[in-house]
Amino acid sequence: MATTTKELETRRTIRPVCNIWEESGTVTLRLEMPGVPKENIDLRVESDHLIVRGNRPQPEENGNYVVRERQWGDFAQSYTLDETIDRERIEAKMEHGVLTVTLHVKEAVKPRKIEVRAR
Amino acid sequence: MNLIRWRTQGIDPAREMERLQSEINRLFDLDYTDRSTGIFDRASSPAIDVIEESDGFSVLCDLPGVEQKDVDVSIGNNVLTIKGEKKMSTNSEKAKYFRKDEWFGSFQRTLALPTTVDPEKISADLNDGVLRVHLGKRDEVKPRQITVSVS
Repeated sequence: MATTTKELETRRTIRPVCNIWEESGTVTLRLEMPGVPKENIDLRVESDHLIVRGNRPQPEENGNYVVRERQWGDFAQSYTLDETIDRERIEAKMEHGVLTVTLHVKEAVKPRKIEVRAR
Repeated sequence: MNLIRWRTQGIDPAREMERLQSEINRLFDLDYTDRSTGIFDRASSPAIDVIEESDGFSVLCDLPGVEQKDVDVSIGNNVLTIKGEKKMSTNSEKAKYFRKDEWFGSFQRTLALPTTVDPEKISADLNDGVLRVHLGKRDEVKPRQITVSVS
C-alpha cells in the first residue's frame, strides 16, 4: 500500500461491529468491515494482542454528497489473547465485507475425559 | 447586580392561538421525522450515501455479510427500493457467545429520486459488502457545452 505508517496513525478509525463466540475448541470472531478489500486487511499478533486493521480506500471526490449517513474511517480493533489461545493456528477469511478470524484453543488446555477403569 | 422581578406577560389569546396552530401544523408535517427514511423503514434501514455526479447519482449502502442473491434493488414510480435479508451466520446451538453486536434480519430502504433520473439507466453491484447503485440522469438534463460562434 502506498500509505505510510504516519498517515495510518492519523486517520480516523472506527471499531467494527463484531460477534465473538466459542465453540468446540475454537474461538471465532466475525468483524463487519464493509468496503475493505481483502488485500487491505492487516491482521497480526503482537505479544498478547491480536490487532486487526482494515483500510478503506478514500471516497471518490468527483461529486457532491446529497445524503451522507455512512460512517467514515478505517476499521481498527485489538484484542488481548490469553495463554490458552494457540498463536500459531490463526485462520482468517474475508467474505462479503466480513472478516472471520478463527482462533484455536491449545490442545493442552482442552478438557479431556479420563476413563476410569474398574478392576 | 440588580435583581428585578420578572414580569409575566399574562396570557395573550392571539399568541396562544398561533402557538396551537403551529403545533397542529407540525402534526401533519411528516417532514419533522427523519427526512431520509421512508414511512415503512425505521430501525432496519441501512445507512446510505448519495453522491451527485455530473452524469448521474451514486447510491452507496453498507451491507456487510449480505450475499448478492439476497439483495433486491428495484425502481418504480421514481422511487428506488433496496431490500433484502441478512442471513444468520451458521452457528450451532452449542456456541457460547462473548459478544453479539451483529444484526440479522430483513432490511429495506426507499429513496425518492429526483425527476432528472432516467429509470432505464440503472446499474447495481455489490463489492466487499458495499452496494453501489448507479442512476443515470436523463440526457436532456446533463450539462452541455454550447459553443457560441461569433461571426
